[in-house]
Amino acid sequence: MERTTIEPWIVDETTDDFFVPDYIEEIAEDVLTHYNLSVKNRQVVTTKPDKGGAIWKMETNEGPKSLKLLHRRPTRSLFSLGAQAYLVEEKEARVPPIIKTKAGENYVEAGGKLWFVAEWIEPLTPVTKDLEGAKQLCYALGEFHRLSKGYTPPKQAEVASRVRKWPKSYQKMMTKMAWFRNIANAYRELPASPSLLEVVDEFAEQAKRGLERLHQSSYDELSKLGNAYWGLVHQDYGWSNGQMGKDGMWIIDLDGVAFDLPIRDLRKLISGTMADLYRWDATWVREMIQAYDEANPLTKELYEILLIDLAMPNEFYKNIKEIVYEPEAFLGEETKLLIQTIVDTDQSKWPVLEDIQNDWKGRG
Amino acid sequence: MKILMVCTEKLPVPPILGGAIQTYIASILPHLRPFHDITVLGVNDPALPDEETVDGIHYVRIPRKVFEIYRDNVVRYIESHPFDFIHIFNRPRLVLPIRQVAPHAKLIISMHNDMFDAEKIEPEEANAVIATVSGIVTISNYVGNVIRELYPQAAPKLRTIYSGVDAERFLPGTHQKMQKIRNELRKAHGLENKTVILFAGRLSRNKGVDKLLEALPALAKKHKELALVIIGSKWFSENKVNDYVAYVRALAGTLSIPVVTTGFVAPDEIQNWFAAADLFVCTSQWQEPLARVHYEAMAAGLPIVTTARGGNPEVIFANENGLVVENPEDPNGFVAAISQLLSDKAKMKKMGEKGRELALSLYTWERVASELLEVWEQADELTDTEMTIAAVELTEATQTEAITEQEEKQVDEKQAKKEKKKEKKEEKKAKKAAKEKDKESTQPNEEKTTKQKRQPFILSSSYTDTSDSKKKKKGGSSDRKTGSGFIIS
Repeated sequence: MERTTIEPWIVDETTDDFFVPDYIEEIAEDVLTHYNLSVKNRQVVTTKPDKGGAIWKMETNEGPKSLKLLHRRPTRSLFSLGAQAYLVEEKEARVPPIIKTKAGENYVEAGGKLWFVAEWIEPLTPVTKDLEGAKQLCYALGEFHRLSKGYTPPKQAEVASRVRKWPKSYQKMMTKMAWFRNIANAYRELPASPSLLEVVDEFAEQAKRGLERLHQSSYDELSKLGNAYWGLVHQDYGWSNGQMGKDGMWIIDLDGVAFDLPIRDLRKLISGTMADLYRWDATWVREMIQAYDEANPLTKELYEILLIDLAMPNEFYKNIKEIVYEPEAFLGEETKLLIQTIVDTDQSKWPVLEDIQNDWKGRG
Repeated sequence: MKILMVCTEKLPVPPILGGAIQTYIASILPHLRPFHDITVLGVNDPALPDEETVDGIHYVRIPRKVFEIYRDNVVRYIESHPFDFIHIFNRPRLVLPIRQVAPHAKLIISMHNDMFDAEKIEPEEANAVIATVSGIVTISNYVGNVIRELYPQAAPKLRTIYSGVDAERFLPGTHQKMQKIRNELRKAHGLENKTVILFAGRLSRNKGVDKLLEALPALAKKHKELALVIIGSKWFSENKVNDYVAYVRALAGTLSIPVVTTGFVAPDEIQNWFAAADLFVCTSQWQEPLARVHYEAMAAGLPIVTTARGGNPEVIFANENGLVVENPEDPNGFVAAISQLLSDKAKMKKMGEKGRELALSLYTWERVASELLEVWEQADELTDTEMTIAAVELTEATQTEAITEQEEKQVDEKQAKKEKKKEKKEEKKAKKAAKEKDKESTQPNEEKTTKQKRQPFILSSSYTDTSDSKKKKKGGSSDRKTGSGFIIS
């Protein structure tokens, strides 16, 4: 068992969402022997079969805990674990404390992956799906960002940083727009292809404009301020990873944290929320930003980057990028409707961005 | 001399798992062995012993893991094993740790790609590395130029040594050893009567095979019976393939011509696919150091279409062994270049023959080794100011044995120079300077100038007479006419 390497696993009709291969369950048992815990029961609550990750909830003599198998490279996982420990131990942030092993470590390495045990925070309730809830999420996010500043990863960890990668990711979006166009051209006879071809140029143009604006903005100088200055982004923040506990908002699932300009989480939260509303709403956007700003004040320069990032064709890109996998299945009637929805929502975006563009004018 | 060659932490030597640097090292070793006591330090592998001596080369293999662990193991080894020369491959970040434990050894580094870039090595460390090494060998002018742009002071230490190919293994499909293999492969994949375009490389945006797939519909309209073969192991993958591979698969899915994807091909079988093809296309989009496949395609007698990126065009003699696409982002560039070749089969044949000729005359491992020996010798001379006359004479006597008649005259000149050096330093300096000037004005291609002797690593000198490589002999003289790389016009 010592030599087993954990790999992604295949899911089919015989497995459900909570299926984890037996050999991984066996490794989990072995991992738990490294802890001073007596585990009464253990239950899979989340899996990532395509990547080889899983989370269990455990009832123990010390109360409920989570056991996590981190799917990332061990050196990458070290970065995230270090961040979680830093936030709890040095900043007293409301993120789940990590339970130490018998040897006093934050994790166990087994099957070529890192495993760790953390407190299971109870009770946690999602905030309401309205503007008030959105503002609570934004405030908590700002708090998280503020507290994460100054983090230095452990020496053996690989440094996960997106601080200097913005132009690259914008560039990538432009490249992929060309891919979408080429695939739609190659599969012209499918239902969604004409709709895609009709709009892809406009979205490609938005991405191009975004990259130009980024180059003209203070991005370059801001990015030079360095990783520790900016702190961490969560990368997967929303209604399930930010929840209300007894004493305030908790942020969970920190496995993907990376150094970045903090507004990237905020931008994702805003554009995702607007997609859920099927329209952009100036009041929501403005108040979400304000709630965030109360916890982690935004400078004029950062606000400008936020506006640039909001103007990128994020939702179009996010929804269409799957096209490369099975173009024939993807380019059906359903996608045709999806494209229409994205285009309609996008049209309401521009007046809103214009409306809020001067909000930070008087700021320092 | 006692020489240590330090490989990278990635793959073992011999190249049982492939790898460009590993192939390079393994291929030059037989030609270096007669002249020096060589140890190769690299990573271990279950299939290889941790220590062995094979064909006179001593191999030491240490655990492979991340760079930092490998570095510490390298340092530990060198600490207890002294060498005169340490040649480090593609890891500038090994130089300073090695210098600490080998204060007197001469250090040379070979650069196979952009490991001097700011994100790979801190400028402060890079400056110290450049000051520490006696020479920096690069696999293309491009790689050297990038280093020089970042660190101008590296210029006198830089020298291009183009790589080589095993022309006994990579053979044209018309060669008697290959005819059967070619026919069988083509039959097995439905490629009989087809004109087969070959792409060999990673499936990645950098390597750009998508541009070739984009170009194919237009080419298929103009030219009958086309087919594409893609050698690249990522095509089939049990788990989720990445976006790019999915994208090229999606593009290939609608083509009207056959697209054969080989999946993983063992390193020792790759040559069969080269022999089965009719035209080689490299679609690189990135500033590539200089892809090995160019040499392999030449040896296999294939006309080449490549891109004006990085070092790739340096081995293309325009219209002689291939064509260069200036703007590879635009698939139309490939349509035009490939079409030009496909429209003139006689020209394709001639280009293939020229490529084969170049592989045999110029891109031989023997020539690579010989240039490397020259680098070691020059570095040795450069720093060893205390060299005695006796030693000079001894060295030169040894060298003379290995030198052909054509070169003897130069050796005489050199010996004469050394005598003068002994007589009167100041006078010699002036004379040398005068001589150098004289040489430059009368024999622009003559390599051996006094200046270059003191600064032997000159980038991009000319190498126009390709037959020179045939004259060259192993080891021996640093007085060689053909010096450092060549410019191709």
